[in-house]
Amino acid sequence: MQDDMSAADILLGDVLRLEDVLPRDSVTSVCKSFFALFGLPVRVISHEGELLADVHRDRPLCNYINTSINGERECARTVGVVRDLDRNGQTNVYPCFTGAVYRIVPLDYQGRPIGRFIVGPYVPAETKVPPPSLSSVDAAIDDGTARGHFAKMPRVREDVAQEISAHLKGVLDLLVFSGHRALLASTMQIASVRENYRELAEANEALKTSYDELKQLDQLKSTFLATVSHELRSPLTSIIGYTEMLESGTAGALSDGQAEFLGTIRSKADQLLGLISSLLDLGRLEAKNLDLNYEAVDPRALLSDLVSTIVPAANRRNVSLDIQVDDETPKIWGDQVRLSQILLNLADNAVKFSDEGGEVVVRAEPGKLDAAGSSGLGVALFAASRPAVVLTVEDSGMGISGENLSKVFDAFYQIDAGTTRLRGGAGLGLSIVKQLVDGHEGEIQVTSTLGEGTIFIVTLPAADEDA
Amino acid sequence: MQIDFAAKELTVKLVYYGPALSGKTSNLRAIHWLGTSNACGELMTLETQNDRTLFFDMLPITVNSGSGLKVRLKLFTVPGQVMHNATRRLVLRGTDGVAFIADSQRSEADANREAFLNLKQNLEENGIDPEGIPIVIQFNKRDMDHIRTDEELEVIAQRSREPIYKAVATRGYGVMQTLRGLIREAWGKLEEDHQLEEKFGISPVRFMNEVESKLKHDPGQRER
Repeated sequence: MQDDMSAADILLGDVLRLEDVLPRDSVTSVCKSFFALFGLPVRVISHEGELLADVHRDRPLCNYINTSINGERECARTVGVVRDLDRNGQTNVYPCFTGAVYRIVPLDYQGRPIGRFIVGPYVPAETKVPPPSLSSVDAAIDDGTARGHFAKMPRVREDVAQEISAHLKGVLDLLVFSGHRALLASTMQIASVRENYRELAEANEALKTSYDELKQLDQLKSTFLATVSHELRSPLTSIIGYTEMLESGTAGALSDGQAEFLGTIRSKADQLLGLISSLLDLGRLEAKNLDLNYEAVDPRALLSDLVSTIVPAANRRNVSLDIQVDDETPKIWGDQVRLSQILLNLADNAVKFSDEGGEVVVRAEPGKLDAAGSSGLGVALFAASRPAVVLTVEDSGMGISGENLSKVFDAFYQIDAGTTRLRGGAGLGLSIVKQLVDGHEGEIQVTSTLGEGTIFIVTLPAADEDA
Repeated sequence: MQIDFAAKELTVKLVYYGPALSGKTSNLRAIHWLGTSNACGELMTLETQNDRTLFFDMLPITVNSGSGLKVRLKLFTVPGQVMHNATRRLVLRGTDGVAFIADSQRSEADANREAFLNLKQNLEENGIDPEGIPIVIQFNKRDMDHIRTDEELEVIAQRSREPIYKAVATRGYGVMQTLRGLIREAWGKLEEDHQLEEKFGISPVRFMNEVESKLKHDPGQRER
């Protein structure tokens, strides 16, 4: 609240108190130099009566007067009047009973009084002899001594005193102006920073809220996906089962046309089952509760299994398959079923996206897996790299552009929605592959050249020698 | 507006708003050298190295209404650059009227619109109803090439709710008309909201006469 108040005050750009904009040290040093130059005492007082600077030297005359009781009383009264004299913003020359005078000059800023300065006591050069009040103030005052001290008082012609005061007023006005400027600038700066901070904090809060909502929605989506796929699978299994029974003639002989239609029903149902299984896998993978049955898996067996599965599809598209296994390739430490799934998904994609007459190469070779991750960040802190198996699936298809490359592992992402219809698939395969590879603590990388083909490189930890 | 009953003093806050480099500071500078020196205070500007106004300028003008009421008109400008929005919003707080300085150049039409929307938004965020606050619009830089023509501005003025002024602020043309227009609008609104005539015995006409006489500029620096 206090801060708000001061910000509001500052926003009207008013100087509230002289002492807020005039540093005491600066005022004092200005007054000191004024005193050194002209020998005139000077005091600066704020509108509220605060003494901001007081530069003077005790005068023998004043000291002498103050030795008498009445003199001291009269002196105190004069000083008191002078201090509080503030007459409607006009310069005032106030006479002391000693014959000296005080010149009171008001200071205002933007049309408001903010304080005043007092020059004196000094004796106007025009005053040759002291007034009778000097020695009559107290019987103890000796006229001769008093006159002697009076002669030693600083003397200035009134027109000069006026000019000097105008000059000092100019200097003090400038100090007030610069001080005010600096005060405004810094207060404004701080208020702006605070305002910016408030704005950002609000924006952050809004972002956080929507992020939490999105996370909740995502969770909801995963649960929904899992439930729906599960519910879809049960009736589908029945459809497939009864179709198989019909095909096998359990319900009577089939005509050629009926058999063909049933074949179509079954192949489409199988396709649907595959999709539903992928969805279920994805749901499980996202929920991070996929159990892996680790064992030492021979890549040769893995690849020969793959060939038998993928060859029919490759033949249909007239795509040649080249399987290469390096003799030195160790066994993989992983889940046989899931590893097959990884390879099958990648090879299936490679065949699907190869053009007629293209070539797909699947390779297995020994490699290394950096314990610190592919970036090598903090490598010094981690154990040395461990042996691994590198599986490469290379196609001669259309390739993927750089901007799309980073998204290929996102669920349901297909670079060109048109290819879904043309080549099939729901965009789940690579997402599942990525999650499975991650589950095996392996790495997957993809490089691609548009028009030349795409290479997926999967690096998986090798099983121990004796496994 | 701020009333100090004890000092019989009224402070009215007027803000010059607009896109960056549309001439807000030039307006204030012109007011400063066109206005009589005893009415205007010292023009305070805070500028960054590349000559853009970072915070705001301030030009207090004091008008004695004759009935003993002292009116201090405080003119502010805001930094036009987009990044200084927080400062703009702070300066707008408690304003009694806005002079929107638009750039007449055709290429700046978008910047004008954006700045005006920003003004509207910042007024709302300060709890000021943009529909209720007095606003005048000045089309500045009339001496530049590729500007909206006078005929176009004529058409705009006819369907505009806000009074439209034309100016070349760097030469002082149109600056005083804009300021007087803004003061008239602002005072009218203050009169409506606070019945100043009833409370202080100053009619809007008399107040404007007082302003006119205070802001009378040197014959040597005539506006066209």
